[in-house]
Amino acid sequence: MAHAETTRVQTVIGDPVGENAPVPRAKLEAIFADIQSDLRYDHELNGCLNCGICTATCPAAHYYDFSPREIVQLLWTENLEGIYDAMQEKIWACAQCYTCAARCPFGNSPGGLVMLMRETAIKHRMESAKNVLRPFSRVMLKLISTGNQLSPDMINKDHFADWGPNISKVDAPLKLLRKAIPMPTLNTTATAWEVNLKTSVELYTIWEMTGVLKQLEGIDENLFDVITDIMDEKREDWKDFLADQEDGGKHG
Amino acid sequence: MAERFTGHGAEWRDSNLTPTEAKVATSWVELKVDKRSMLTQKDRVEDVRDAMWDLERDGEIVVHRVSDEHQPVMVKTLYGWDKKIPTQRLWHHKSCGQCGNIPGYPASLLWLMNKMDVEYLDETDQTSCTAWNYHGSGIGNLESLAAVFLRNFHQAYVAAKAQGLPEAYYYPLVHCGTSFGNYKEVRGYLIRSAKLRESVKKILGRLGRLVDGKLLIPEEVVHYSEWLHVMRERIAGMRELDCSGVRATIHPACHVYKMVPEDAIYDDKINGGNRLAVSTGIMQALGAQVIDYSTWYDCCGFGFRHIISEREFTRSFAIDRKIRVAVEEAHADVMIGHDTGCITTLDKNQWISKSGARPVELAVLADCQFAALACGAHPYKIVQSHWHASPTETLMEKIGIDWQAKKAEFVAYLEEIKTGKQENLYDPRRMITSGPGYIPIKAAP
Repeated sequence: MAHAETTRVQTVIGDPVGENAPVPRAKLEAIFADIQSDLRYDHELNGCLNCGICTATCPAAHYYDFSPREIVQLLWTENLEGIYDAMQEKIWACAQCYTCAARCPFGNSPGGLVMLMRETAIKHRMESAKNVLRPFSRVMLKLISTGNQLSPDMINKDHFADWGPNISKVDAPLKLLRKAIPMPTLNTTATAWEVNLKTSVELYTIWEMTGVLKQLEGIDENLFDVITDIMDEKREDWKDFLADQEDGGKHG
Repeated sequence: MAERFTGHGAEWRDSNLTPTEAKVATSWVELKVDKRSMLTQKDRVEDVRDAMWDLERDGEIVVHRVSDEHQPVMVKTLYGWDKKIPTQRLWHHKSCGQCGNIPGYPASLLWLMNKMDVEYLDETDQTSCTAWNYHGSGIGNLESLAAVFLRNFHQAYVAAKAQGLPEAYYYPLVHCGTSFGNYKEVRGYLIRSAKLRESVKKILGRLGRLVDGKLLIPEEVVHYSEWLHVMRERIAGMRELDCSGVRATIHPACHVYKMVPEDAIYDDKINGGNRLAVSTGIMQALGAQVIDYSTWYDCCGFGFRHIISEREFTRSFAIDRKIRVAVEEAHADVMIGHDTGCITTLDKNQWISKSGARPVELAVLADCQFAALACGAHPYKIVQSHWHASPTETLMEKIGIDWQAKKAEFVAYLEEIKTGKQENLYDPRRMITSGPGYIPIKAAP
C-alpha cells in the first residue's frame, strides 16, 4: 500500500517504502557515519530518556520548530531519515548557547551535536546549508582573510537599520573615532585590531592544513576565490618582507 | 480556529491553569533550577587538569604555568576545585567583537590595570579564537579550533622575548566569553585525544610553535571577568562615585559558565553559591544593589549567526526575555554582562522595541566598564560609552556623572586628535613584536 505523503520526512527525503525515490540509503548512512566519526560524538551523546529539559530551556525552541530533545533522539535511535530531515533546516535554528548541555542530566550536549551536524551538512555540500550561510558570507570573508570576525566598518546603519540611530552617539568620521580609542592596536577600521602580517600567514596555514578552505570551496566557490586571492597577496607581502630582511633592508 | 505554530507538535494543548495554579506548578521547577545542584548532580565529571599533568610527566606536552611572578589568587570552581587566577604580567587576548564594536570594553579593563600597576602586553600578533564564525556557520572544525588556540597561546608564551624578557613571562588573559568557553573545551579534547594532539602537532610544528618539540598547554584558561573578580576589593578601594542607588541586573554569559561548567567560579558568599560569582561579586563590592530577575538563566539571543542574518530571533529574545523582564520585574537601572556577544545583543537591540506597543530601554555595560566609571574613568575617552546604543546617560546621571560636560570634553579631544595629539594607555611601540613595523625596545619600566 502506498503511503500518503504527509510528513516532512516524506516531503524532503521521499518515502522509503513508497513509490517516491528516497534519498539513497548509502547517502544517509554516509552522512550519519560522518557525524559519528567525530571524536566529540561519544562525549556529547550518552543516552536519553526523553525528559525534555533541554527543550524546555532552549531559547530557539521558543521561536522555531526546533527541539534539542528531538535532535538527541534522532541520533540516539539512529533515525537516518530524520537526521537528514533535521539537517535541512532545524539544526540552523540552534543559538549555540549550550543551555541544553548545562541542564541535561545525562551530560549530553545537544548544542555540540548540532555543530557536528552542521559540519557534516557543509561537508556534503547540502543546498540548505548554502542557502542558510549566504547572508553570513561577509563575516566568513572577514574571519578567514583577517583572523578577525567583526570589523568597525561592518557596523553601520545600512547593515543594521534596526539598531536605530545610535550606532555612535558622537557624530564624527569612523576613522577619527577609532583614533580616539586609547589602545593603539584598535586604531583601525577594516579589522577589529591591527593584525600582524605573520599572524595572518600562520592562520592561512592552519586553514589549509585543517581542511577549512575545502569546506569553504564546497559551500561558496566565489567567496573561496576572493579569499584565496587575498591570501596569495599577503603571502607575497610576507615573502617580500623576509627577502628584504635577508638583503639587510630596512623594515621598521 | 487561528493557526498556531508552537513547535511542540499537533498534540500540544494549553494547560489553561489559573495564575495561582501556574505558580504552584512551576514553583518546584523554580526551586530546582535556581540551585547549583542543577549543574552538579551528574556523573562522569573529571578534572582534566589531572590528565594534563600526567601528559607533561610522560613528556607529551609542556604546561605553561601560572607562576608566583603572576601573583595568582586562588578561587573555587563549581565542584569546589581550586583555580589559579594570575593577576600580574598579563597578555591580552582580545575579542574581535569587543574591539570592533564596543571598544570601551577592553579600554576600561586596561585603564583599571594601569591604575593598579598591572604589567601587560597588548600586541598585534593574535587572531580571534575563530569560534564565533564556527558556532555560527559550521565552517571550521575541532582541529582548526585547536590549532588556533595553541598558536595564540604559544604567542602569549614567547611574546616577552620581543622586549628582551624571558619566555613564559606573560600569562594569557582571554577577553571574550566565547573564546574562553571554546578554548576550555578544545583544551579538554586536546588532553583526552592522542589523535587530535598528533594532527595539530604537525601544524604547530610547521608554524614553528612547539616548545622543545612539544605542544604547549596552559595550566589555566583565564577570563578577564575572573581577574576582575579576584581584584574586586582593590578596585572597590579606588571607587570615587556612590553606586549604592544603582539597581543592577546581571546577565551571566552562557559560554562562560554553561560550556565547561566545572571551571566556572562559584563562591558561597555570592548568590549563596548557587550562581556564577563573577560580575555579581564586583558589583556588590562597588556597593551597587544586585537585583534578581526570573530569566537570569536565559541566553541573550545572540545566536552567532542569528545576530547577523536571522535578526528577528535575536531582537525578540533580547527584548522579551531579558531587557523587558529586567525593567518591569527588577526595575533595573542597568544590565551588567561579561561577554562580547551578550553586551552587543542586549545593548543594540532595544531601539527596535519602539516599533511595538510597549517600548523598553535599559543601560547595558560590561562589568569592567561599570567598574571603570565608578573609579572615575572618563565615560567617553576611556569607557567609550558613545558606542553603546542603550541609554547609558541615565545610568551616568544616577551615579553623579555630568555626561554632557564629559561629552563636550571628548568632542574637543577629537579636534586635538586631528592635530596629531593622541592619548594612549601604553607605549604604541610595544604593540608590534615581530615582522613589519617591529621596533625592538625594552619593557616599560
